[in-house]
Amino acid sequence: MSSDRRLLLFNLLRGAAAIFLALLVATALIFLSSKEPLTALKYLLLGPVISFKSTGMVFNTVSFLTILAAMTPTIFSGLAVCVMFSASQFNLGGEGVIMLGGFVGALLGIYLKLNTGLHQVVCILAAAVVGGLVMLIPALLKVKLGASEMVTSLMMNYIIMFIILHFLNFTFADRSKGATQSFPFEATAKIPEIVSNGTKLTWGLVIALIFVVIIALFMYRTKWGYAIRMVGINQSFAQYSGIQVGMIIVLSQVIGGMLSGIGGSIEMLGRYNTFLWRELPGYGWIGITVAILAKNNPIFVPLAALFIAYLDKGCQLMSINSDVPFEMIDIIQAAIFLFFAAEQFLAKYRQRIVVRNAQRDLALQEAAVSREGKLS
Amino acid sequence: MTNDLLLLIFNADFLFSLIRITAPILFAALGAVIAEKAGVVNIGLEGIMMISALFGVMFAYWTQLWWVGVLGALVVGVLLALMIGFFAFELKTNIILAGIAVNMLGAGGTIFLLSMLTGMKGNTGALVTRELLIPTINIPLIKSIPVLGQVLSGHAVLTYLAFLFVWLMWVLLYKTPLGLNIRAVGENPDAATSIGVSVQKIQYIAIALSGAMAGLGGAFMSMYYSQGWNSGMVAGRGFIALAATAMGRGEPVGTMLSSLLFGLAQALRTKVSGIQGVSSYLVSVIPYLVTIIGLVAYAISIKNKLKKRSPASKGA
Repeated sequence: MSSDRRLLLFNLLRGAAAIFLALLVATALIFLSSKEPLTALKYLLLGPVISFKSTGMVFNTVSFLTILAAMTPTIFSGLAVCVMFSASQFNLGGEGVIMLGGFVGALLGIYLKLNTGLHQVVCILAAAVVGGLVMLIPALLKVKLGASEMVTSLMMNYIIMFIILHFLNFTFADRSKGATQSFPFEATAKIPEIVSNGTKLTWGLVIALIFVVIIALFMYRTKWGYAIRMVGINQSFAQYSGIQVGMIIVLSQVIGGMLSGIGGSIEMLGRYNTFLWRELPGYGWIGITVAILAKNNPIFVPLAALFIAYLDKGCQLMSINSDVPFEMIDIIQAAIFLFFAAEQFLAKYRQRIVVRNAQRDLALQEAAVSREGKLS
Repeated sequence: MTNDLLLLIFNADFLFSLIRITAPILFAALGAVIAEKAGVVNIGLEGIMMISALFGVMFAYWTQLWWVGVLGALVVGVLLALMIGFFAFELKTNIILAGIAVNMLGAGGTIFLLSMLTGMKGNTGALVTRELLIPTINIPLIKSIPVLGQVLSGHAVLTYLAFLFVWLMWVLLYKTPLGLNIRAVGENPDAATSIGVSVQKIQYIAIALSGAMAGLGGAFMSMYYSQGWNSGMVAGRGFIALAATAMGRGEPVGTMLSSLLFGLAQALRTKVSGIQGVSSYLVSVIPYLVTIIGLVAYAISIKNKLKKRSPASKGA
């Protein structure tokens, strides 16, 4: 038991080291590029939760709630990636499906007349179904024809985006507005705020957290989840132990698509009033970062999403209040990506722990054997 | 309408632009070919193109020599590819994730870098003057042949280089000991190891060459195609290149053909979106749709071939 705990502790420390290294890279870049590095760092690291007043530093509740609100879509995209990557399906179509989920949710939110409560549920369910159906394409092409799901899903992102833009421009545009956008959603379709203070923190976050629990139970307490993880670890082994690998590959991607669709629709109906996405929203890629930080374990997804949302807010504030551009976030994310996902990063130390544990276990075993020998 | 379309398409101008549009895709696709032959997935081509494109412009601007820009882009491409290799081979980061990390650097890191180096936002603006663009060449004899001359002559140096590399890549892969090793490592790393080939060394070489190709593709984009660097410039060409390679069965010549098909789709899009009443958005879908259809068609053909070869075996 204590050996397991030591390995867990090691994994946590290693994660912290990776994040520390990424922030170190960011700090170095800030000092290299900025004329006011300390201001930049202050806003990057503390800005998201603390406002700097002349009287001193105050905890900024509104800003903190905005960060929580920003977690909602990335929890869903993170969960989607967790499920797909667990099965070793490198489907990168979350990006497009989230946009599509937002679009489907928006259209039903505009043109459907239903009572509130039912209206939201219908919008979200429709987005889930459409998302799942779309992900059937790369999944079936992979299983039936062996076409790389990575390539097809990447191409699909662009196809989905352009088709949405076509319909947004030529069919659903509200011509009374200067910018290209849809008509506003019915009030009955909007996902209500938890506290009405303009932070747009909606019940969507609560739904997201419920899905975290559902997906965690699904992945670790059902035979489907077990099968998905087995296929991811060793496909041939899974096949020989009687798992229908093709079906599981399809299942994982359809679930990923449904989660992405749900995330897109909740984001759209929660934080917007009209559909106005003109390009892919970027949540799909962030979902990959979140899944990597969570080590594909759904339970850690909210924590990872919180971290990324915090970082994103920090970078925004930094770019507003200093001369360092917002795009720093991509560099930090890339560094986290590389080190966090590096299995051999600090592996020497893990090796040492494993060896020490093995030696101790052997010693215990020998002691037990010799005791038994004495008894007989 | 159909007649107009045919006239628009089958003329010398169109074929000239087809070659021009294909070149950057071809560079990146050749990068994907060499990586794939060694059993390495380089999904970072997109990011490498973006970063190399920026450095190409910067090096050219700093030295006021276009060829230094191209070389700089190439070197940066190699370094980035080696970085992917280092994380993937030494630190055991999943290579797809390492590639995505480079794509992130390409998307945001470039904007950061540009602002750090020059203070400019999102594009290099007036840094690129006419003299710093990659020069074009008129081929002496071919130039004067009526239609052919218009199509084949007057391209940028790098355009010719892209098509030359198709042949060079084929020679490298099939006529040199290094190529044999690369293919051996890609097909069966254990067997390659057993005859004393260092898998890691070969994979490093392959991904470095892959980065060099993507680097040249990036230089082509910023120093010729769009005459300056901007943040939306590469627009998925690195991903398209992966698709073109899959469609071209990972072979240099096949990949060139699929790259041309892709260039055709993109050139068509430019032409057709000029016509009244055609949705430019739907036309924009063509290249990506063509890729998926191509992949499917290829996969089906492979399957049929396998069936013919072994009638007893059933499809999975």
